[in-house]
Amino acid sequence: MKTWHRFAACIALGLVGGAAYAVHQVRGGLSDGMVEIGPWQTGKSFGTVDASALTRAKVALGGLLALPSREAMYFTAQKDSDGRALDGRCTYVVRGGKLDGRWWSVTLYEGEGWLVKNAAKRWSVPASAVPVDEAGGWSFTVAPSAQSGKWLPTGSVPKFDLTLRLYHPSATTIQSPETAQLPTIERKECV
Amino acid sequence: MMRRWIFPILAGAVLGAGAYQATLLATPYALMQAAMMKVGKQGPANQFAFAPMTTAENQTIVRPSPDLSYSVCAFDVSKGPVLVDVQPVPGYYWSVSVFDARTDVAAVRSDRDTKGASARLALMKQGQTAPAGYDPVRVGYDRGLVLIRILVAPASTFPTIDAIRRKSTCKQL
Repeated sequence: MKTWHRFAACIALGLVGGAAYAVHQVRGGLSDGMVEIGPWQTGKSFGTVDASALTRAKVALGGLLALPSREAMYFTAQKDSDGRALDGRCTYVVRGGKLDGRWWSVTLYEGEGWLVKNAAKRWSVPASAVPVDEAGGWSFTVAPSAQSGKWLPTGSVPKFDLTLRLYHPSATTIQSPETAQLPTIERKECV
Repeated sequence: MMRRWIFPILAGAVLGAGAYQATLLATPYALMQAAMMKVGKQGPANQFAFAPMTTAENQTIVRPSPDLSYSVCAFDVSKGPVLVDVQPVPGYYWSVSVFDARTDVAAVRSDRDTKGASARLALMKQGQTAPAGYDPVRVGYDRGLVLIRILVAPASTFPTIDAIRRKSTCKQL
């Protein structure tokens, strides 16, 4: 093999490998600066000039036009409270209490962040839609078929995620998101 | 034998690291460009497009909130400042945010910041000046997006909110 053949092969492999590894990182897993709170994950530098190149690319792919934490925080769950991947063929109960912000909603997505088609035409549960008990607690069900009470359809997709938006979060939550009291996601039966 | 491969492997590793970083850096620009092209199809530059409430059938931008109404303006300050006037919606959360071509937030104003009054922003690049009465917002790139979010809960309030938000403007000075 000639010298230039060796260079050409290594350079081609390097370019393809470098770009492919970047795409792999952008599309999956935790990024730098991410915080885990139970099944939820969030970042501290979304939408800011402080974000690393990797975080900026990940947010652009999975949450383009995200607001900085002073305005809104985005907590995403890809697994339940026991660490199992969220499956649209299963039923879950999402249970929480008062969240430390002005307003919240939970939205169900598939893939990189697309609303799931469903006959009920329901894609989110806003704070105003759930009954709150005397202790401030609330819950709703995420399931492939209609349920009693507040229900968020999964469309039976094999994999989904939930995004909790918290608008005007408290200074404590912005500073220390790992201390936030976020809902649990409890898996029930699967079909 | 192996010595012949040392320099080619080193060259591949260096260029691989460069390709990795270049891909990360290019991704936000490419996705923002795609978003601006989608918005461009809804209307001309420096003008708000008032989108209907998002559903699974009409979503164009990734990870939309079905609880918010979105109004978006693809701005271009290359020929002069762009003025953004946001009509407040009393009693509802609303915000206006400015994103540059790299997806960074250049400014955010919400009803909390304005204490319920309207938001008036002048988007400018270096060397341009803001007219009186406008908050100057320096953008690092000529183009980007302005996005107004308004909380619509319950959904039945959308017609009222829609009528108010259409008084918001985005125009070149």
